[in-house]
Amino acid sequence: MSTPLPIAPLVCWSCHERTIGTHFCSSCGKIQQVPEHSDYFAMFDLPRKLWVDMGMLEQKFLQLSWKLHPDNFTNATPEERAISLRRSSELNDAHRTLRDPVARVEYLLAIEGARVEGKNKQQAPPELLEEVFELNESLDELREAKASGGDTAALKQSLGTAEKNFQGKLAEVDSELQGVAKEWDKAMDAKADAAARKGVMAQLNELLNRRSYVRNLVVNVQKELA
Amino acid sequence: MGRIVGIDLGTTNSLVAYVDAQTAQPKCIPGPLGRTLCPSVVSLDADGSIIVGEPAQRRLLTQPERSIYSVKRLMGRGPADVQAELKLFPFRVDPSSQNIIRVQLGEKIFAPPEISSFILRELKNWAEAYFGETVDRAVITVPAYFNDAQRQATKDAGKLAGLEVLRLVNEPTAAALAYGLHEKQRGTVAVYDLGGGTFDISVLKLISTNEGDIFQVLSTNGDTHLGGDDIDHLLQAFVHEQILQKDQIDFSPHGELAQELRKELIVVKHKLSETDKVLLRFALPNGRVFEHEFTRGSFEALIRPVVDRTMAPVRQALEDAQLSPKQIDEVVLVGGTTRTPVIRRTVEEYFGRKPHTELNPDEVVALGAAVQANILDRGVENMLLLDVTPLSLGIETYGGAVAKIIPRNSTIPASAQELYTTGVDNQTGIEVHVLQGERELAKDCRSLARFTLRIPPAPAGMPRVEVKFLIDANGILQVAARDVRTEQEHSIEVQPSYGLNDADIERMLEESIEYAEQDFAERQLIEARTDSESILAATAKAMANRRAAELSEPERMKIEQGVAVLKEAVVGSDYKLIRRRVDELNHATEHLAEILMNTAVQTALEGKKLAEV
Repeated sequence: MSTPLPIAPLVCWSCHERTIGTHFCSSCGKIQQVPEHSDYFAMFDLPRKLWVDMGMLEQKFLQLSWKLHPDNFTNATPEERAISLRRSSELNDAHRTLRDPVARVEYLLAIEGARVEGKNKQQAPPELLEEVFELNESLDELREAKASGGDTAALKQSLGTAEKNFQGKLAEVDSELQGVAKEWDKAMDAKADAAARKGVMAQLNELLNRRSYVRNLVVNVQKELA
Repeated sequence: MGRIVGIDLGTTNSLVAYVDAQTAQPKCIPGPLGRTLCPSVVSLDADGSIIVGEPAQRRLLTQPERSIYSVKRLMGRGPADVQAELKLFPFRVDPSSQNIIRVQLGEKIFAPPEISSFILRELKNWAEAYFGETVDRAVITVPAYFNDAQRQATKDAGKLAGLEVLRLVNEPTAAALAYGLHEKQRGTVAVYDLGGGTFDISVLKLISTNEGDIFQVLSTNGDTHLGGDDIDHLLQAFVHEQILQKDQIDFSPHGELAQELRKELIVVKHKLSETDKVLLRFALPNGRVFEHEFTRGSFEALIRPVVDRTMAPVRQALEDAQLSPKQIDEVVLVGGTTRTPVIRRTVEEYFGRKPHTELNPDEVVALGAAVQANILDRGVENMLLLDVTPLSLGIETYGGAVAKIIPRNSTIPASAQELYTTGVDNQTGIEVHVLQGERELAKDCRSLARFTLRIPPAPAGMPRVEVKFLIDANGILQVAARDVRTEQEHSIEVQPSYGLNDADIERMLEESIEYAEQDFAERQLIEARTDSESILAATAKAMANRRAAELSEPERMKIEQGVAVLKEAVVGSDYKLIRRRVDELNHATEHLAEILMNTAVQTALEGKKLAEV
């Protein structure tokens, strides 16, 4: 990793000829560094849209794996080995991110500069405030009962119900997220202006924050119930 | 460059294999005793030499304090990790062990990678003797569930054995490669690998593409301290208890008696895979003979806990692969412990199909390692292996929590970037703690490394350092840091939490020369030079004989020329060239030898006659 890697999007680092190949030099065939300003979508020749054809993604992933995997470069120069390691790790990172619908939205917002995490992750969205308050109380009671060796059966049951309730909310957020994702794709197809796109991204961002909040709640409850 | 081999460095046995160029099939290489299994046992002889394999295994009984087995259990572990094992294994851990365990053999202290390197060197010697060529590169297999430190320790062992470790391959994946080549299977495959000391379950997808076959690992899980050893311990504990009650004899696990009993119980265990009843008879020091009849039923009840412990990882691996047992097309059994009928039955019941056992479960991992070695040597031609990291990689955050940055079962190589900045003015360092594991708190995860990012003094929040965490194709972590504003690479001194540092390895490499036999090529060169010295001397002497005059002129010229080119070759270090020239000179001097022979015979006869007269 310490090998310095020259970054040259259009000129091959090895033969110094101009190259039109994205992965391999069109002139000498050596593996090429990822061009600057590339992103996971570009890596798979995908537009920055949120609906992804999974079959295509998998196929492309396997094709690129054949070419970029370090197994191809055991007997190559240290530079080529380092580039292959970096390229194939980026390919795997991209594949891992894009195949997960939530990670995909996170990533899109990040590269669009529109991902703003909630100022306070502990802060409940206003519409959930009351239920969260109750949930936290039940959780406290359960912890106390556990500590003092008291009866936990009833508490566990009510928490179980609460968990299902929040699971339902998580599903709601996910379906909302899907809906807004479709809007994003429409805006992209319609070549909507920056302001319109920004509006959709703000909604996506808000939903991601809500999702992570609700998900944390569910995980916490599951931990106490386990 | 020398030959490349695949090595299965097992808890109980180790093997070395290669791919035969003619048949394109992998093959295990036999040792001097004709067997392909090399017991993973090392013993230090009184004269300071190292004994490996079957001879060392015999010494477990005669010199237990100079011998060690199952050292794989100690690889990449700290003293606190192995307290439970120490009650069961006769390891003599050096009390001054700190981050890494050191064990005592006789009067010497070794780190586990050194001991493993002796086993690897033995296998290297087997292969070199078999090929008649140097072996300098290897693919070594590790349990899929090995963490970073355990992998690094294995890589270190390879280096200490004089091998360039081209790749660490996960054992179940290697087995899948061997089976894939053998059976041309397609679809989803579950590999259940229960060896001497480790358990792995891997779920793979075998995909045919235009370019060739892809072996894609979807998920993996396991337990790096679960295997046949644990079955032995259950048997031992049971018998120790019986003997304690009936005869009031307490077995110290360090005693020769305990080793003898262990050996007997392993025989009982193996027999119970074939028959329904085995009678154990064991002579006690009080003159009595302990007798107990094991039935398969009682044996299976006794080892049930081990069988059950394998099933939680199996369920987790399937859940992570998002598959149900029914969706698995093929099940493969690997590892000697899967010969146990109750294990075969349990796996068959769970998946609802008969598992594959066609390939020898002891050899299949080594065969797969040879296949991968061949791929690496020749480049990806028609097979590609995509493996995953078994454990999530995380970094410690505020309050001792762990932020996961690379989730488990991510295809490797995989990476993640984290941006760091300072919290106070002129802060010059940021502590980074890297962990591996699934738990939420740093204290419950495996510490991999700690390091300090060095920051030039600046107002708080100004510095921006990006740290890149990369898990390479071996499953080993690499860390690099870069100043985002200046684009400068930071160098990071990563101190492994449980492993040898570079200085340790340097020192051990130096010491290893003490134990190592000479390098193969060096050995060959010395032998070839010795041979040439004797033929040159013999030729010179023969040519000085008056009867050499009987040679024809072309014959004489040929010999003189042969002598000249051999003398030239001896100066160099190409042992093959020297050998060829020796052969040529031998050939050229055949007639000369004949003439002298006749002379000798005649002289002898004449002498006899003279004496008789």
